[in-house]
Amino acid sequence: MSTICSVTEEKALEINKFDFTYASADEPSLKQVTMPIAKNSITALIGPSGCGKSTLLRSINRMHDLYPGNKYEGEIMYNGRNILDEKEDLISLRVNIGMIFQKPTAFPMSIYDNVAYGLRLQGMRNKTELGDRVEKALKDAAIWKEVRDRLKHDANGLSGGQQQRLCIARAIAVEPEILLFDEPTSALDPISTQGIEELVTELKDKVSIVIVTHNMQQAARVSDYTGFMYLGELIELGKTEELFVTPKERLTEEYITGKFG
Amino acid sequence: MTAIQKRVIINGIVMVLSTLSAVIGLGFLFWILFILVSNGIEAMNWDIFLFEGAPPGYAESGLKQALVGQLIIVGAATVIGVPLGILAGTYLSEYGQRSKLAETIRDVSDIMMSAPSIVVGSFVYAVMVIPMGHFSALAGIVALTIIMLPIILRTTDDMLHLVPTTLREAAFALGAPKYKVVLQIVYRGAKAGILTGVMLGVARVAGETAPLLFTSFNDNYMSTDLFAPMASLTVTMYNYATSPYADWQRLGWAAAFILSMFILGLNIIGRLILLNKKGK
Repeated sequence: MSTICSVTEEKALEINKFDFTYASADEPSLKQVTMPIAKNSITALIGPSGCGKSTLLRSINRMHDLYPGNKYEGEIMYNGRNILDEKEDLISLRVNIGMIFQKPTAFPMSIYDNVAYGLRLQGMRNKTELGDRVEKALKDAAIWKEVRDRLKHDANGLSGGQQQRLCIARAIAVEPEILLFDEPTSALDPISTQGIEELVTELKDKVSIVIVTHNMQQAARVSDYTGFMYLGELIELGKTEELFVTPKERLTEEYITGKFG
Repeated sequence: MTAIQKRVIINGIVMVLSTLSAVIGLGFLFWILFILVSNGIEAMNWDIFLFEGAPPGYAESGLKQALVGQLIIVGAATVIGVPLGILAGTYLSEYGQRSKLAETIRDVSDIMMSAPSIVVGSFVYAVMVIPMGHFSALAGIVALTIIMLPIILRTTDDMLHLVPTTLREAAFALGAPKYKVVLQIVYRGAKAGILTGVMLGVARVAGETAPLLFTSFNDNYMSTDLFAPMASLTVTMYNYATSPYADWQRLGWAAAFILSMFILGLNIIGRLILLNKKGK
């Protein structure tokens, strides 16, 4: 059984009866997931390790296609089309749906080139335009002040928290409509975590956000909607304050009160 | 004897033994270097670079033909072997991955890496020298390329493997096509490692003698004809060092010295690249 709240806002994504099976597995890792994702808001996915949160997140930008044999069934509707369709252009899909990973993934190049990478991929060559977009992205990611004097330095010289904000800058530079965060703070210290959380909250004016987190407090702090997943199923989706205060499903209640995890 | 005393004594014995072993090993290394440098420097002069080898007793005698031959043979092997090795390593790491074909290539190249170089020499002798009817620089180039290939292929494979998967995924997540992920992200991340592999591969073949004896053989005079036998530092050194004439032996020392300095130089440059990479 599952309880899915209705989303009154416009929807960024609609996941319908979605099954996902890894190449190495016989059983699907995600079963009949149906989940609306509201536009310009933050949807958090919580649940114990191995419940399928990251698997679901990585389906939204078809990351699983990098490894042969993985199988999708059902639909993920985005802008009126099913992105699981074989004809879907994964390159333009991933330009529109960006992703931030658990560990910072600064490319082995300068800070400037990192942020310009996605823009250059789209064929932007004009130096002034590139410079403006890089500056804007770094400002939006709240890291401009720290790096403006060393844009030409190697990005790997930055601290973990700075690298993660750089990755966010790189992702928002191409102006995606949706951003997927896969446990973006689990490798960071508390202060950097706070910085990223504030940033995520600010970003929702421009993008729709789905964030996977191990940390229930984090979900409660930043998100508008929270989905609780267990053993490959979405057990409950609700407005965050309602889900944490008055969960509708017994499993959700047991999880958020710490009876298992 | 208490447990502590016992531990202190065993600790002391292990330390003395390992230090002694290190000193013995290093001692031989420095001995070799000392003999090589002292004889080599004595043998060095400008004539070595200016003149071809002459019969014993002639004043104007040098290693010009061997130096030029060495450069041509090792240079051409590098030009062919490096791109081939890097691309094959790229196939293994980025495209073939754990497939049967990729694993077979890995196994075969591991075997080839430990195959005695003289075997490679006799293989090229059988398939090139005999059909052509004579020794040739080309056959030498092919032999050295075959020896170099598995080294560069495996280092490239290993070094590309060290680039974290998440880095590739991050590039794909920005909408990068696969070839750009490989060329712009993965290569860049593995640059220093691949370059070191190339240096070590070149250094390895530059010191090979056995495969050249079967293939490019030797020429006492200057030749740049790829279809004719060609001198190399190693084969020349072997010939001169085993000759009974003092001035030929002197040239042998000079060849050994130049070759060692070349390989030492390559290794030092390789290390510097790695150091520089870490410093950043």
